[in-house]
Amino acid sequence: MSSELAARFHDAIENQEPRLRTLAAQGRRILGYFCTYTPVELIHASGFVPVRVMGGVRTLTKADTLAPSFLCPYMRAALDKALSGEYGFLSGIVQGYTCDAACGAVRIWERNIPGEIYHTIALPYCDSPSSRRFLLSEIDALTVKLRAIGGTFSEQSLADAIELYGKIRRLILKLYQIRYDERLSIQASDFLAIIQAGFMTPPEDYLRMLEDSAPITGPSVASERGGTRVLVSGSLVEDPKILDLIEESGGLIVADDLCTGIRNFEPVSGFGLDPIQRLIDRYMNRAPCPCRSRVSDRAPFIEHLLERSGAQGVIFLFQKYCTPHLADHPSLVEHFKAKEIPSIAVEMEETGVNEGQLRTRLEAFFEMLR
Amino acid sequence: MEKTGKSRKRLRAAKELNRVVTEYYVECGRAKAEGKPVGWMPPMNGAIEIFYAMDIQPVFPENWSPICAAFGLAERNFEVAEGMGYSRDLCGYMRNIIGYVHGLMKEEGTPLGGLPEPDILLSPGGGCVPVIKIFQALERRFPNAKVYPADLPQVPTEEIRQHHVDYAIAEIHRLIDFLSQATGRKLDQDRLKEVVKLSDRSCELWDEIMTYRRRIPTPFSAAEIGIMFVMVTRQGTQTAVDFLTTVRDEVKEKSAQGLGVLEQEKIRLFWDNIPLWYNMGLFNHFEGMGGVVVAETYSSAWSLRLDVNRPIEALALKSLKSYPMVSCVSVDKRVEMVIKACKEYSIDGAILHRNKSCLPITLGQMDIKRALEAELGIPSIVIDADHMDSRNFSVEQFRTRVDAFMEMLLARKS
Repeated sequence: MSSELAARFHDAIENQEPRLRTLAAQGRRILGYFCTYTPVELIHASGFVPVRVMGGVRTLTKADTLAPSFLCPYMRAALDKALSGEYGFLSGIVQGYTCDAACGAVRIWERNIPGEIYHTIALPYCDSPSSRRFLLSEIDALTVKLRAIGGTFSEQSLADAIELYGKIRRLILKLYQIRYDERLSIQASDFLAIIQAGFMTPPEDYLRMLEDSAPITGPSVASERGGTRVLVSGSLVEDPKILDLIEESGGLIVADDLCTGIRNFEPVSGFGLDPIQRLIDRYMNRAPCPCRSRVSDRAPFIEHLLERSGAQGVIFLFQKYCTPHLADHPSLVEHFKAKEIPSIAVEMEETGVNEGQLRTRLEAFFEMLR
Repeated sequence: MEKTGKSRKRLRAAKELNRVVTEYYVECGRAKAEGKPVGWMPPMNGAIEIFYAMDIQPVFPENWSPICAAFGLAERNFEVAEGMGYSRDLCGYMRNIIGYVHGLMKEEGTPLGGLPEPDILLSPGGGCVPVIKIFQALERRFPNAKVYPADLPQVPTEEIRQHHVDYAIAEIHRLIDFLSQATGRKLDQDRLKEVVKLSDRSCELWDEIMTYRRRIPTPFSAAEIGIMFVMVTRQGTQTAVDFLTTVRDEVKEKSAQGLGVLEQEKIRLFWDNIPLWYNMGLFNHFEGMGGVVVAETYSSAWSLRLDVNRPIEALALKSLKSYPMVSCVSVDKRVEMVIKACKEYSIDGAILHRNKSCLPITLGQMDIKRALEAELGIPSIVIDADHMDSRNFSVEQFRTRVDAFMEMLLARKS
């Protein structure tokens, strides 16, 4: 895939607002979510278009009236956008409980941004027959709420949605395999754009975009891109500049442990006798995020990705003030040190990153890895 | 005014509180020495009553942090945690306890004897992310402790439904089974009823004590809020009931005599968010201008009655409600509670502590500010600080802002 083909995905990101506005004007109902623990299949199966709320890099003018400066840049920017009317196409927010920031954001949006539904699904932390029964009740409660605002959930529509998202996830994971095998010629920021476009495009359209894109569906060629192979780990990466900076400084991003990355796609689906059980199974077995997992779950997952991709080191990309990731960082570093896997941490602030200083740090890191 | 300082307390019960605190920590150390199982747990849930009913010693690392702040140990603990790589942007409770268990805990001579090593860790799924991460860090620090991975639905109190209660009940039964296996101790249902009854009596007394603060002048202020120590560490014990009875009697007597914190109480204030544990003296600062902090958000966390006839369900409900009520899980409920309290306590102005160490309580604060202005015409001020880390607090800025706020409130009232 060339950057030319990635242009379609960049375009989907840049023009998301007018496109989604038009869609809403045509009568499609759009629901936002913050975290990838939100069962998008269920939202889609109820007749709504799920769209991941993004913040982006912007000069904030309104968020300070409702949120402290030490809320993560992502949530502050998203709130600022919403208060500026840029999310006027949303009918509300449905969120799977993850971190304190997202939990509070749903409630603040509810009080300040008009919408028909603001709902958080209380996801269990433990996996047992009892916790799965509980999650089933939570799903039932959400479908009742969605029906009350015109939702049309059925077991068949859920089966269809699971199949649709499964196809998308399989194609993206194929792209990851191609990337691991050094047969993907696009830079990491284009790769991010392909994924990000999926957050803000109706899934049927997104699937077509992916199916139309070689080499996901066709043969791939060996990449000529060079650099020190690294994995990036963190929560959301919204600003592709940071990825460009890594690759311009001598790195080659070959894998990620991001929620704007592989954690959104693994596993493709779940097992079970009926669609709801399959849905529950998937969300109980999600790729581990620090909000809901221990370092002992995360470390083997990242190590597996390092092994599969041949990455030589880890670059942690933190949203400033992100407690779940910052809290795990010392133990992950200790774990990787013991296995002689070098790492470096970069904090992404509201205003982006200090390019000059970061470039020097990254160059030194890659020098050390060579 | 200093950057750190103790509050001036006026209740006789304050001396009694010192004894209760010391005895609790001595008891924790003695339990370990005598071979009684010691379990570390987060506060604000129904597990404490189960622990007391099964004669397992509960220890609260979160409560140890204010103690460290009061004894001036927090800086050393922060240094250790930050040296390990824990970011200064993380909650002060987290940095303090991680620093403590990797530093001072290994040394002799810690005030109150320090904390005994845990045999059991009740590692939460639920509550705030820092407390989840604290316990995961403790699991790594104490690999020999038996870990109970707890689970509790995170749901706004006003949205609690039967399936949430059913799951929370199932989780309490799972906890009881775990503790029985881990310690060999069985839960006696009659003993549990007795403990829940004592816990409910504490809540009843707590509510009664708070009610006296509605009187003008108020018999005690937030400077005495350390009394909630028993609600955190002693719920379900006779000790808590006895201590709160003493407090109630004193407060009742003061009220009857019309004795207030100040002879001339001019301004009644509300405090939102956790106090600055290293500077409880701030609460006395207002007194110089005739102001008293008569109510606060935090104290409402203990205002929950328990149905003694259905002890397990009562504890499940306590677990489900305690944390959401004072955090961003239930912003609507919190706003409603603050509005209600400001009416009942005849509040003139509110101080909103924008707490760098606690995002979950800080989120939603601006909605509280708006609601106070819109619904009651009560002005409020936002103070930037931190409940644990004094480096995030400027005493001069505090004084300048608060004094101007007080002047404005006085002018409005005159």
